[in-house]
Amino acid sequence: MLPLISTNMTAAAACASSCLAQIMPAGQAQIQVALTISALLFTCGLVGFMSRRNMIVMFLCTELMFQGAALAFIAFGRQHMDTSGQVFVIFILTVAAAEAALALGLVVLLYRRRATLSAEAWGELGE
Amino acid sequence: MTAMAQRIDQLWPELMVLTGAVICALIGLSRQRSMRAAVPIVAMVTLAAAVLIEWMRPNSGSESGLLFPSLGHYVKIAIGILGIGLAAIGAGHMDRKFEAQIALGRVSFDPLRVVRGEYHAFFLFSIAGVMLVCGASDLIWLFLALELVSLPTYIMVALGRSNRAAQEAGIKYFFLGALATAIFLYGFALLYGATGSLDLIVIRDWLSVQSALGGLSSMAVLGLLLSTLGICFKITAVPMHFYAPDVYEGASTPVTAFLSIVPKFAGMCALIMLLGTVGWNGHSITASDGVRIAYSGLPQPVTAVLWMVAVLTMTLGNLGGILQKSIKRTLAYSSISHSGYMLIGVLAGPGAGFDALFFYLFAYGLMNCAAFSALASVERRGNDVDSFDDISGLRAKQPLAAGVLAISAGSLLGLPPFLGFFAKAYLFMAALEAGHVGLVVIACVNSAISAFYYLRFVLVPLVAPPSARADELAASNSAFPRIAAAVCGALLLLLSAFVTQMLGAASRASSGYTPVAVGDSAQDSVQSARAPAGGDANQVVVDSSTRHP
Repeated sequence: MLPLISTNMTAAAACASSCLAQIMPAGQAQIQVALTISALLFTCGLVGFMSRRNMIVMFLCTELMFQGAALAFIAFGRQHMDTSGQVFVIFILTVAAAEAALALGLVVLLYRRRATLSAEAWGELGE
Repeated sequence: MTAMAQRIDQLWPELMVLTGAVICALIGLSRQRSMRAAVPIVAMVTLAAAVLIEWMRPNSGSESGLLFPSLGHYVKIAIGILGIGLAAIGAGHMDRKFEAQIALGRVSFDPLRVVRGEYHAFFLFSIAGVMLVCGASDLIWLFLALELVSLPTYIMVALGRSNRAAQEAGIKYFFLGALATAIFLYGFALLYGATGSLDLIVIRDWLSVQSALGGLSSMAVLGLLLSTLGICFKITAVPMHFYAPDVYEGASTPVTAFLSIVPKFAGMCALIMLLGTVGWNGHSITASDGVRIAYSGLPQPVTAVLWMVAVLTMTLGNLGGILQKSIKRTLAYSSISHSGYMLIGVLAGPGAGFDALFFYLFAYGLMNCAAFSALASVERRGNDVDSFDDISGLRAKQPLAAGVLAISAGSLLGLPPFLGFFAKAYLFMAALEAGHVGLVVIACVNSAISAFYYLRFVLVPLVAPPSARADELAASNSAFPRIAAAVCGALLLLLSAFVTQMLGAASRASSGYTPVAVGDSAQDSVQSARAPAGGDANQVVVDSSTRHP
């Protein structure tokens, strides 16, 4: 359920921010909306990371948190009429892509050992 | 353009290390055995060259546009030297079983089955990341440099061994690392929102104006707190420390040594650079009309959080260390508690606090290098040693490793003739000077607790009778870990004679840092302050004479 909601929310947030940027001059109210959505994305990601045990979903949740931060950068950049916030977002996307490649590689490695994606199956380390 | 040329001129050591990484990745795939064997040597040579380049460069501190203009000089040299030690610990470790089979002629070389080149390339990338962290002029650079430190380490954990434990450790480390990255990224976003700039110096000017105009906005404070929380992962401080024992246990010995030193260096530098934007207590701006604007330094919530994190980190680290049977888990808890001690230096602030902190970072790195190189110089049935049973009575088989383990444990504990004692003493004195008496008392109690587990590193190898498991111990295949152990052990003793010089070098690291905007730029920022809280900048001026007698 949660990944579904969060995926929809990412799409909604992306749409909302692009629409806002294009249609109307971003006023304080629009920036507030974008910031609220970014905080929601970040929180959803955090809650999802804590509560889910599927490794792919956990990874998606960290991506959600990254996008929350990226959206906040765009909104703040608009608020301050400064483009460096948007530049930061490009770098965030690049790093997120690198992390995705790494994460999927590691998950496939683990999946080959035990044919499950559940993080619960892995508990060998510990006292 | 000249500014850009100047910045690139500062990056020669990083470029050197990155070139070394490419060479390592290439010759690691060579068909010739001697070329593959040369990979760790290439890594060590490039690091040595980077250290030399930085050493020869006059540290003028003229690198403009940086919050800490001289930090890079010290950190690049320190991490380069420690990197040579870490490369020596790992020499001959990667692919050792596969290479042994090739030497016996059982299998032929297969480029898909070797990881030595990649491992050393990632090793050098990560070290270049630490060097770049110190050159960060803005949040983008800082973020990218911190990621350059972290991303290779995730792979190194998984590559270092091919067993399940390493892969579990790798994915655990990766997920928590990604979480921490997202958290400090959001903190960066809030800092950007509060100040409207990504440049660390502009952020500092804005925050000092804000704080002079009646306190930092809650958005800035929240941003600082979130960034600190994210960086706590890198330095294994308390809310984000729980991964350390598992990951350190699962990773192979050279990787564990790497994890205990390199991310901590990067995290500490990033932490003081971020907190440096608000500065520490006791400073003021003088505007050109002669009015002094009082400035309160680290906001109360940040100080309180750092205080609690420091206390909890050292206490939980030391209490956890007592109960362990695995050597690497014990060293993980030891590294957690040392982060707590280092945070005391961060709280003590510029001047004595930073001098002691940078000195402590290097000393800590050297002590951990010594301990891990001693561990890496023995193996049991071709595997890393990992329990105290394994090294029981080590003196009979490997007197050098046993002796160095004892020296490093004594140094980590802070016993007088060793380097660790001076590092700890300076740290505690700096904290006393800054008025953190409570912290120092707690840290002293903690040092006493840590004696319980550090003494095991002395007694088990030197005094205890050899156990059955210890009979199977053998020297590791490469001589490099033994050389590293001997050198690090000797340095822990000898460098105690050069403490003053080392402290002098450390104190130059934070020179050139000013916690508040000075001169005209201050005047400009006050004048142009659009006062995010809504007040008018020019009317709200506090006379510092009431706050700073």
